[in-house]
Amino acid sequence: MLSISDIALGTVQVLVLMALSPLLTGIMRKTKARTQKRVGAGILQPYYDIEKLLRKDEVVSDQASWIFRVSPWVNFVAIVTAAFFIPVFLANSPFGLIGDLLLVVGLFSLARFFTMLAGLDVSSTFGGLGSSREMMISALLEPAVFLAIFVVAITYGGTSLSTIVESASNSAVLPHPQLIFAAIAMFVVMLGETGRLPFGNHETHLELTMVHEAMALEYSGKSLALMEWSQSIKQILLFALIANIFVPWGMASSASPYSIGIGMATFVIKVAALAVGVAFLESSVAKWRLFRLPDLVAIAIASSMIGLAFYYL
Amino acid sequence: MKESGLGNYVEEIKTKFSNKIKKFDYNHNEVHFHIRDPNDIREICGHIHLDMEARLATIIGTDERNNGGGFVIRYVFEKTGEDVFMFVIVSLGNANSFPSIVSCVPAASLYEREIRDMLGLLPVGNPDTRPLVLHEHWPQGVYPLRKEFDIKTKVARKEGQYEFVRVEGDGICEIPVGPVHAGIIEPGHFRFSVLGENIINLETRLFYAHKGVEKLAESMAPEGVVSLAERISGDESVANSTAYCQAVEKLLQVQVPDRAKKIRTVFAELERIYNHIGTLGGMATDAGFAFGAARLNILKERMMRLNETLCGSRILFGVNRIGGVRCEVERENQKLILEKTGETLRDFDRMAAFLKSKASLIDRLRDTGKISKKAARDLGIVGVAARCVGIDVDTRRDHPYASYAIHNGRTPQQAMQDQIEMEKRAGDAMSRFEVRIKEVRDSFDIIKNSLDLESDGLYAEIPEAMEPFKSALGYAESHRGQTLHWVMTGENNSIFRYKVRTASFCNWPIMEFAVSSDIVPDFPLVNKSFDLSYSGNDL
Repeated sequence: MLSISDIALGTVQVLVLMALSPLLTGIMRKTKARTQKRVGAGILQPYYDIEKLLRKDEVVSDQASWIFRVSPWVNFVAIVTAAFFIPVFLANSPFGLIGDLLLVVGLFSLARFFTMLAGLDVSSTFGGLGSSREMMISALLEPAVFLAIFVVAITYGGTSLSTIVESASNSAVLPHPQLIFAAIAMFVVMLGETGRLPFGNHETHLELTMVHEAMALEYSGKSLALMEWSQSIKQILLFALIANIFVPWGMASSASPYSIGIGMATFVIKVAALAVGVAFLESSVAKWRLFRLPDLVAIAIASSMIGLAFYYL
Repeated sequence: MKESGLGNYVEEIKTKFSNKIKKFDYNHNEVHFHIRDPNDIREICGHIHLDMEARLATIIGTDERNNGGGFVIRYVFEKTGEDVFMFVIVSLGNANSFPSIVSCVPAASLYEREIRDMLGLLPVGNPDTRPLVLHEHWPQGVYPLRKEFDIKTKVARKEGQYEFVRVEGDGICEIPVGPVHAGIIEPGHFRFSVLGENIINLETRLFYAHKGVEKLAESMAPEGVVSLAERISGDESVANSTAYCQAVEKLLQVQVPDRAKKIRTVFAELERIYNHIGTLGGMATDAGFAFGAARLNILKERMMRLNETLCGSRILFGVNRIGGVRCEVERENQKLILEKTGETLRDFDRMAAFLKSKASLIDRLRDTGKISKKAARDLGIVGVAARCVGIDVDTRRDHPYASYAIHNGRTPQQAMQDQIEMEKRAGDAMSRFEVRIKEVRDSFDIIKNSLDLESDGLYAEIPEAMEPFKSALGYAESHRGQTLHWVMTGENNSIFRYKVRTASFCNWPIMEFAVSSDIVPDFPLVNKSFDLSYSGNDL
């Protein structure tokens, strides 16, 4: 049974994630601007954007059905729900018993499924293009995700995130070589899931090259705010997953304010470092050819396979 | 009148078609063949294009009915490597149709459709009967370039539907893109027929930015048209105004001072440098490599600021005037040009080397937007687009103008090396990328060699009166390729007809071929690698 304090702690974790997620996007944009010798917008800009969009009216295509209107909410709810199961600064996630890593992946898929439907629903050409590309990429990413998860799961003995993270944080520095390979795979998956380069380009204005942006192209106002915010939350969740599974040290093991404080600080540092790293990577690589992307995913799959082999060696 | 250098070609045509040619005359490097019967043009143009391998440079239609010439069509051909423009001139009298030459000169199609829209002359035998310049909303039977059409006329709007080429089959989808685009670019419509991500067919629809430049010039004073020429396409202002001024100078037989010629050359090359750097940056942007784009845009900005210090305009407006140049380049400015351009070029070289070592970028460029030499020749494309597939055309060398003649001394060894270099070019986006990098460096060398300015003044005095109904062709090489400006004088120092053909008009059709083996997300990159102007095409 969950106690009141558990529920409160779990909810606080989710709220922290939701509140920090636009900041993370801001940090990444700022880093990219600086590496490109631009000044760039302030790191709080994503908050201003969301605030502005929330005040704006919406324009909805007359071709759109209920799917188009509902999708941002499904997206948002699915991703926020996933946030409940992901350890942030507490090693033992209070809601960990309810859902495991597989459920998180499933919720992400649900969100993506509705985004793709929404892209098709408005019958704009770019939406259709984006959906078809997203389908291709997600079909490729799925085996990579699951293989990486399996490597982690068999190493720590379960797919429950709390189990994984707890046993990870209690173990010595890198006891399991297979985890390095799983981390490589997860990193590639994260790039694909968040539409970062070389998969997609957040900054592009070229509809013909878009993947995720093309599906959300028809959204405006509050719906767009919701789409962008959920995208940011999804990003911070993936960063948190990678950071806490593969670099678990520093997480709070008890609910004392001191250890929670340490947990918070290390979490922010880890995630920000990862964000800066991804931003640097984005600045140093061009977008790959669309039909080159399977190669990249193949690297992730191969890496997980090597990890599996290491486990049995 | 000079006859030497026009080669045996003139003799060949004279003997072969002696009974079909009424008369011929020369105007500097132009040789004019006046044809007796319009029905012979297909044979003569076919011979010039196919057997003599001359490129169709432009087709000019004029309405000379008021001065007794009827409708006149001039087919202009040029032969690569020789400084000659061959004009095949035919008068249609009052007839409103003429035989199409598309069957032997494919590149003629667009010109013929343009003549049909603007002058109401029907090209008999051109398979494409759809309007080109004037869209459906333009009423039928109103032809803006006819003399009876007053420029102040307000025409009624008409509804209509343009028919795109339809590709049908299982799983074929159409993607309409534009004319309003997401970035800050000009209008143009692209209709893709795709099978999945593969482009089966692309049809471009342009002329949304048609602003009646040619008609407008007829109501302006010749000096004023210099400003108009600059505004045909803002980023090739020096090339276009130079070409226009040279046409008028040729008409007036004005000798431009050497100092002015060199200043023109310097500004033309400065224009090439900032545009090429900008295009390279644009290619990096469209390949999703923001770092390279940002760096190159910094260099472009430096060059544009230099432009502003030199002539007061970031995009080099106000450099030219008829008879010479308006803009003086003082000694300290000469030093400034060398210093700033040299500095920028050093950084550019480092950036170019860096970009070429970036595997993810090179992978996007290689084999993307590949054009074939055959298609390029058939469509008569010019400039970087032609040079990237090994067709060695360059107006600066083929028809030296301004002070380019002094830069043309190539040793046989260099010529051989250039030729080998040309043969290696594959016609993909990568080769256009490399050609641009090379041309930026060449431009700097030309600037360096041009900056020992003579002191014979900025411009020559121009005669008060112009002889009516004389024509001349001016030409220049913009960063996109050859731009041609043909001017015919009218009575009372007016312009009777001003025909402009920029490189963009020649090169747009190749786009439809370039993407035929590509996928949809590569289109923006292919488009940028050609870097064509909409405004310069639409006129």
